Amino acid sequence: MTAPVSRQHLGRPGCLRQAMPPRHIIGAFGDGRFWAISALVLTVGVWIIAMKNTLAFVIALLGVIAAFRTLPAQAQSAGPIEVNIPVLVPITGYLSLEGQSQRNGALLAVKNAPAGIRVRAEVTDTGVAPEAAVNALERAAGRGPVTAVAASMLGTQMLAMLPVAKDYKLPLITVSGTAEITQMNNPYVFRFFPGDDVTKVAHVRYAVEELGKRRVALIYQTTAYGQSGRRQILEQLGKSGLAPVFEDGLEVQIRDMLPVLSKAKAAGPDVLMIHLHSGPTALLIRQAAALRIGLPIVAGSAMHQPPTADLLGPGELRGVCAEANASPVSGGSPGIERFVQQYRQEFGMEPDGFALGQYDGIMMVLDAIAKGARTAEDVRRALSTMRYEGLAMSYRSDGTGNMAHSAVIMCFDGSSRTPRIVKRYDNITGALSN
Amino acid sequence: MLTLQLLLNGLALGAAYALCALGFVLILNATGAVNFAQGDMVTAGGFAAVALATVWPVPGVVLLPAVIVLTAVLGLVLSAVAYFPLKSRPPVAVFISTIALGIIFQNTANVVFGPEPRAAPPLLGGGTLRLGEIVIGSQSLAIVAVAAALIVAQYLLFARTQLGRHMRATAQDRDMAEALGVRVNAMIALTFALATALAGAAGLLLANVFFVTPTDGMNYILKAYIAATIGGWGRIAGAVLGAMLIALFEVIFPALPLLVPLPAGAAWVFSQTVATIVLYLALLAILFWRPQGLLGESARRRA
Amino acid sequence: MSIPSRRHLPLLAGVVALAVWPLVFSSAYDLRVFTLAGIYAILVIGYQFIFGHAGALALTQGAFFGLGAYITGLLGAKLGWSALATLPLSIMGPMLLAVIIAAPVLRLETHYFALATLGIAQILLLVAIRWESVTGGANGLPGIPALTFLDVAVPGGLPMVLFVWSVVALAGLFAWQAMRGLYGRAFHVMRSNELLAASIGIDSARLRAVAFLLSAGFAGVAGALYAHTIRVVSPEVLEFHVMVACLSMAVIGGRTGVAGAILGAVVLVHLPEWFRGLQDYYLIAYGVALLAMIIVAPEGLAGLLGQAAGTTPSRRAGRIAGAVAPATGESRFRAEAKAAAPLLSVQAIGKRFGGIQALRDVSFDVRSGEIVGLIGPNGSGKTTLINIATGLYAADAGRILFDGRSLTGMRPAAIARLGIARTFQAVHLVEEMLAVDNVAVAVAARRPLRLGRALTRPLRDRAMQSARAEALAIMDRLGIVEAAWHRAGGLPHGTKRQLEIARALALSPQLVFLDEPAAGLNASEQRQLAGQLKSLAEGGLTLLVVEHNMPFLMSIADRMVCLDEGKRIAEGTPSEIRANPAVLGAYFGAASVTPGSRQ
Repeated sequence: MTAPVSRQHLGRPGCLRQAMPPRHIIGAFGDGRFWAISALVLTVGVWIIAMKNTLAFVIALLGVIAAFRTLPAQAQSAGPIEVNIPVLVPITGYLSLEGQSQRNGALLAVKNAPAGIRVRAEVTDTGVAPEAAVNALERAAGRGPVTAVAASMLGTQMLAMLPVAKDYKLPLITVSGTAEITQMNNPYVFRFFPGDDVTKVAHVRYAVEELGKRRVALIYQTTAYGQSGRRQILEQLGKSGLAPVFEDGLEVQIRDMLPVLSKAKAAGPDVLMIHLHSGPTALLIRQAAALRIGLPIVAGSAMHQPPTADLLGPGELRGVCAEANASPVSGGSPGIERFVQQYRQEFGMEPDGFALGQYDGIMMVLDAIAKGARTAEDVRRALSTMRYEGLAMSYRSDGTGNMAHSAVIMCFDGSSRTPRIVKRYDNITGALSN
Repeated sequence: MLTLQLLLNGLALGAAYALCALGFVLILNATGAVNFAQGDMVTAGGFAAVALATVWPVPGVVLLPAVIVLTAVLGLVLSAVAYFPLKSRPPVAVFISTIALGIIFQNTANVVFGPEPRAAPPLLGGGTLRLGEIVIGSQSLAIVAVAAALIVAQYLLFARTQLGRHMRATAQDRDMAEALGVRVNAMIALTFALATALAGAAGLLLANVFFVTPTDGMNYILKAYIAATIGGWGRIAGAVLGAMLIALFEVIFPALPLLVPLPAGAAWVFSQTVATIVLYLALLAILFWRPQGLLGESARRRA
Repeated sequence: MSIPSRRHLPLLAGVVALAVWPLVFSSAYDLRVFTLAGIYAILVIGYQFIFGHAGALALTQGAFFGLGAYITGLLGAKLGWSALATLPLSIMGPMLLAVIIAAPVLRLETHYFALATLGIAQILLLVAIRWESVTGGANGLPGIPALTFLDVAVPGGLPMVLFVWSVVALAGLFAWQAMRGLYGRAFHVMRSNELLAASIGIDSARLRAVAFLLSAGFAGVAGALYAHTIRVVSPEVLEFHVMVACLSMAVIGGRTGVAGAILGAVVLVHLPEWFRGLQDYYLIAYGVALLAMIIVAPEGLAGLLGQAAGTTPSRRAGRIAGAVAPATGESRFRAEAKAAAPLLSVQAIGKRFGGIQALRDVSFDVRSGEIVGLIGPNGSGKTTLINIATGLYAADAGRILFDGRSLTGMRPAAIARLGIARTFQAVHLVEEMLAVDNVAVAVAARRPLRLGRALTRPLRDRAMQSARAEALAIMDRLGIVEAAWHRAGGLPHGTKRQLEIARALALSPQLVFLDEPAAGLNASEQRQLAGQLKSLAEGGLTLLVVEHNMPFLMSIADRMVCLDEGKRIAEGTPSEIRANPAVLGAYFGAASVTPGSRQ
């Protein structure tokens, strides 16, 4: 048997890294920081070789750090309308896949800003610790007036940033699904992704109403993403008078899914609901296919991300469905197709719903500015009252900062890695109709 | 039937853990220091395979030698940057320098390869073998075979060759080896290369079935550390045994309700989280009752 | 020394720099980062107790920190308790955990201890993630109130900076006061050589437990302040990277000094912030900087700056040399008349190592004031016998009575405190400590070392002064007082041997085991040593001397015992032993060397 070395095992063809640093970022290195760091690395290298005169070296090191710290922010030439939208997202750590989508979506919106608006969008990594997110927000707030913030989709980080945002009166534009962030009575949060309380309605309704399943096996990740999703799934199932016949939580490090799949199967379910991150989702689906477990799978939003589908063969994906706000790669409208094309061109990778949601969010902010908003407070007011037709859906605040009220279910038919949208659940909360 | 499948999965996982733990112990013996970047070397092997496969789409078994060479070179770099400048300092300095190197490595991988999980090509072909009820991933069998071959090769290298004897002499008593004319520093550098190459091979093996992401290293180093400890600090065979035990435990414990009759309501005890907690508690128990490890320790103590 | 001398300059400069920092970098962001730096400084000052002073690689500090944060978070956010209640509980919680785990893990050796502590931390993390109903799961607990004492809130910004850094100052003062005197030096002895520590009566297990508890308590304070600063607590506080940060700070700043802890925390908290603008690349830069600092500053940044300012301990010591006058040479040994009852009675001792019978049915007595020589070929079990008598090994058979009391089952430190001292075949000194302090520690260890006493010492440490004075007197008596203010590691070999004897004598022992005291000494040094040993015996001290140098031993011994292959083959006066055919056969004959030819 020779190796059918398929696309599946290599990721997309072309470059090593789908996301080569976009031009904006390379531009950011033009200001000398890149060279400062290169100099630092070089100095260290030279020192390790020379291995002497440590004090002189430390002084040099501190000098380089100081020099690079005092590098002035890029001078702003007098443009038409200046706005500052810092992008504070997790581009390292376990949520970096989603965080990079957020960054790309935000940067693409900045690039497509309406004529006459000049946007400064400095990207800062928040990692996964709440501390780092708060630091980043404080740092951004201290660097000149901020109009709005593209903020981390990690629920914990949002919860930590919210009080600070309130102090500084800065609207946070996020795609975090964590239900709690809009329940804190904080008027500065705007979520452009359906919350877990919205997506899980679609998720459960699809499984129960469309597929007609009643015996649910639920497998979730023991992270904020998985635990929040699980709570909402249980709640929605409860509304239909159902409870899972099996549930188990997995740590992100778990690689062998055989035990959990065997146990789930032994409980005799008729549908598998999973709420795992990208890698574990792919692992579970692949091992389920290998075991010929023969159950339909309804997965969380991680499944709709193209990198997840890329890890699997089309055959393995047959019968797998996923929830999301949208599936840009599935097309649907000329606007979305333009977005996908531009995104690929700009970042060399496929966009997901998080990128689209973040794009829509920042576009709505820019739209508000084009319509006359100037300060952060203007933007907050506009966002909490305006209705905006985005690429993914119509957005309107429900009064607590939930902007997105629609979700879609997409399924893979076994012929390709691009899912087809099979069901739209619009205006689930009813917020769009008032 | 399920038992057999679980055993095979456990063996495959254990084989990969064993390669990582083996390298961990080799470096430990040669330098007395814990190489905390060992787990990241597994990731490095995975990414090396992913990168090579992009430009050269061949089965993994063809890539294996190239991955071994690449990660061996990485091991030399590791020793040059994180060990040799610190070799006269307490082992904890190396512990931290390798943590620093791990941070550098993880974030470089994040920049170059991106955060999304990636898959390396399978060793031979993908797919599964079916024997009646049992489904056997051919990759799992291949992992066990390749890992066994590498472990035997390592054993033969140490037992049968002059080079291996010099490496062993260095690990046993550096001063004595030096007095006998062994080029000690070269042997230590080679040990690093060998250790990271073993980890790199594990990375290639695992990156097909379990994918590879930049932050995976932490999991592997913890497993290697535990394996080395329960097997007996400094014991090569102990590390392999320890790795197998950990992997089998990880796979079998959560499946126990299916294998043995248990009272209803006890199922929650066998969740994956409890499995991890029990693993650590078992580790503490072993440390408490048998601190010298299962096979007894052999690493010389440094006063 | 009330006038700030040159050696106080770096300290003053550091304090001024810390005071000026928040005035210069005064944006809300800078103040927040500086607050965090203070919190980490507290964490690291605490970590230095177990990692720096006790020398144990504990990986629980992050878990203690997280536990403190969770206690404050749970009680503050869920029950609305004030910091007046939650802060003490946040300190006690981690300390309680430390007490529970101390017994099983503290006795483990280095890497096992590290792994065991790591395992405990991981369990705690899993519990925090999975116990959703209480901890809020992976999402954590939002809504932790600001720091409030009796309705007085400490708002963020400058007040919080001041509060946190006041706590840093208190914590630093506590650590400095605890460790500056003999108590700190006892830790130094313990971490550099546990065998040696036990031989002079230092109860290492107790010191380590105290250090572990202190670390936990300080981590609890830091965790509580962290929760009040970030206002959210989530499992990230228990993740391994908090531990890595803390460990890196301790290594990079310096393992033992308070200044090192503060420097490490300030630098490492700011470093990623400075690099943050580099986006994907900033953690690479952070890693490179971390690696560079470990390589460049072996003693930590504090050590590096100390070097630059010229305040290495040895130079400092030179300046205070002579400040303490040697006390009178009055004998401190418990002079007792040579009694008929044996002071030490070895009764039918047997010991096996694997397949080798190291000792078999060995019995002999040593009377008070005697000098007994213990001889035998290499591997005949002499040192093993000393190790059993001093509690390092447990005998398989038989017992040893000291002053009529069985030593079986007693720990080495307890045996040392009974009045049994020893020296080692290979010199065991704390090389980087002053010679006088190597001895003074042993003086201090005669009384159980107590943290409370260390904390209540006045600025002018009388206990230290009197211990040093006594040490100087003993050294004077052995003729090595000139070496007192040098580091022990730099002394010539003969002086090191005598320093070992001085340290043994500092215990005010009744009985001293000397393991090859003449090895490596030249003829005149041997003569001098022989005279000193005889005069000690005349003062009432009892000596058991293991020696290969027969002329030396025969010139001082009252009686001699000869072992061969673990058995006692002869006992008697030197002249009897010299004529004993069994001894000649087993020892001199077998080795075909003449007495005294061995160097």
